[in-house]
Parts: sequence; structure tokens; C-alpha cells
Amino acid sequence: MNPPESVKKNPSGHTAKELIANMEQITWERTGPMSLENAQRNVKFLDRGKSLVDLRGVPVGEGDHAVIVASGPSIKFKDPAKAIQSSGYKGAIICAESAIRYLLTHGIVPDLMVTVDPHPQRIVRWLGDPDLDEEKLAKDDYFRRQDMDEQFARELEVNQKIIDLLDEHGKEIRIALSTSSSEVLVNRVLEIGMQIYWWNPMLDDPDAENSATRELHEINGLPCVNAGGNVGAAAFMMADAVLEKKHVGLVGMDLSYYDDTPYRNTQYYDAMLKVADEEDLDQFFIRIHNPHIDKWFFTDPAYMWYRESFMEIAQDADCMIYNCTEGGILFGDPIEFIPFQRFLEKFSS
Amino acid sequence: MSSLLKGNYNLKKKVETKKENDKDSLEDKFEKEAMKHFGGSIAFVKKKKVEWDLKK
Repeated sequence: MNPPESVKKNPSGHTAKELIANMEQITWERTGPMSLENAQRNVKFLDRGKSLVDLRGVPVGEGDHAVIVASGPSIKFKDPAKAIQSSGYKGAIICAESAIRYLLTHGIVPDLMVTVDPHPQRIVRWLGDPDLDEEKLAKDDYFRRQDMDEQFARELEVNQKIIDLLDEHGKEIRIALSTSSSEVLVNRVLEIGMQIYWWNPMLDDPDAENSATRELHEINGLPCVNAGGNVGAAAFMMADAVLEKKHVGLVGMDLSYYDDTPYRNTQYYDAMLKVADEEDLDQFFIRIHNPHIDKWFFTDPAYMWYRESFMEIAQDADCMIYNCTEGGILFGDPIEFIPFQRFLEKFSS
Repeated sequence: MSSLLKGNYNLKKKVETKKENDKDSLEDKFEKEAMKHFGGSIAFVKKKKVEWDLKK
């Protein structure tokens, strides 16, 4: 459907700030009903795994520290996996599902993988979609455009590689699998034979009247975790509140793009073109200077909202947080912004 | 416009005149639909971490 001309010419002030202010509502509309629907369908698979309760306080990785690996654009420049390999680090490695290919191709099998987004088709791609073909690819160019893991641009070939890697290592990996996950993703996880730990994402305040989170809990009795807006924050929450780690390092948590990234390679480019012309896209982005490394980055409304949410989560964390991304916009009290090497030196035996 | 155009016979079916804001509502609808694509991956709930058992 093409937008009405008046909408295209006048995006009626849908600037980045306006979108950020409404992000809670926009996110609910995109994911709330879908998450509930997925959770109801997933009830029949709950006995194929355990509850996240069974992971609480379990010694995952050595020591009281963990590294969260997300898949921001910095991983291709900073290559944190290489640093992990050469350091002899033995602490917990927790990753977003989007970072699994990166870790496995670098010879690292994470201790825990996390997934939360209920999207019906896209998330399974990070684990390899057995049904991916040219027809499916023609319908969705999201992965071809992404600035996260550019290997995904060679889609069919990379898809097969991930399938092979997970067929080989998947059974060794625990997955914190959100009940909001899509049917195809759950089928893929079951097919791989991963060690499943089910949990509910908080969809709203469980103490509120008619809470959807409470409804979820009543469906399945599983613990409800504040996923902080995205999978990276959810992975952090697993380290802090579930595994009770005391020192947590973050890599690949850019929440932004390098300043020379074309808008076309940003995650919401298609959505932006639905309400604005190409030459008007500046209004959707915010440019931020990172004083720790004296570099500029730009971010979009969702990433900015993730940043704001994470900063709030950080205030209530029971651990020290070290952002070792060496780029991006996630900095400020109480987060320590340090090189990954320094974190590894501190926590490698 | 309706004061200038007057028919000289009666229609069996009642014709509703299009309201001015029909166009706006189409745009609103389109924008609302488009805005959904900007959303995050999942909700963020302030001041909450994990609720292990909500029945308690």
C-alpha cells in the first residue's frame, strides 16, 4: 500500500523525539497481542524444556562475572571474540540470538543464548531458517540491508552455514527462550535440540489492573522478566537477576550506527520511507558524541529508547556494568566505559 | 457544494455525504499502521526486574 501523498510530503512532525516519547505504546501495538498469542500456542511445548527458575543462581561459567555479546556494528571492527579466545576468559558468555553465528564461527560456544522478539519470520533467521528460499528472500530485504552482521547479506549461503553450526553445537547451548517467540523459531529450537529455559517477557506492569503480564503468568506459571525493550537488555537481565553475576561486561551493544553508515543500512529504513521521503530522513535520527572515544554516532528512535531503558535498568542493577563495546552511545553513570581488553585482564584467570 | 447541486428526483437509497475528516482518518490509519514498524522488540517496564511467582 502506498502512503497518501499528504503523509509522504508531511510526516507531521514524527521526529525522533516524538517517536521515542511514544515508543512504549508503539512497541505494545507491534508486539503485545502477538506475544500473548505466541505464548498461548507455546504452552504445548513447555514440557520440552525447563522453567527459567531452574537457572536461577546456577553456576554458569566460572566466577562472578559474565560477558554479554550483542551484535551491534562494532563487533566487526573490534572483534571481541578474538580477544575472548586469546585471553583465556572462562567466565559466563551470554549472547543475543543475533550474535550466535558470530560466536560459533569464531569457535566460541556461549553458555546461554537469549531471545525475546515475537516477530513471526525474522528471528529464526539468526538460527538458520530451514525453509529459506529465493521466494522468501524476495519478500524481505531486512537482513540484506543490516549493518549488524554484514555476512547476512550473502543470505542463502550464510543461512546454510548457521544451520550446520547449530546442528553441530546447538545441543550444548542453553537458551533462555521467551514464551513470546514465534512458531517457526520455537520449531527450530526444538529441531536443534537446544537446552530450553522458558520465561515470560513483561509486557506491562504486572501490578497494574488487567495486566497482560499477569495474564501470561496465569497461562503458564513461568517467571516474568523485564526484558528492557530488546534482546541485549534481556541478556543483561539474565546475567544480573537470574545468574546473579556481580561484574557484567557488554560487547556489541552499540545501540547506534557509525557516522558513515548509509540510512539504507539502518533497521527502520523501510518504515521511515512509509511516512517520509528519502531526503527527509534526517529527522528520524539523533547524532551523539561519545566522549570516551571522541567519536560521533547516530541513532534511531528505537535504539535511543533502548538506551534510555537500559540506563534505568542499570540504576537498579545489583552488579557492576562495564560497557566494553568501544563505540556507540551507551555510556553514563553507573556504567563504566572501558576497553574490552581491560575487562578481560581483570576477569581472566 | 450540496447547496449548489440539487437533484430533481428522489433516490431510493440514502446517499451519505463524505465528511471532511474522512481523508484525515485514512491518513491517521495509515500513519498508525506505519508507526507500528518503529516499535522495539518487546516492552520495557520501569522499576521491575524479575517476578518469579506472581501468585504470591
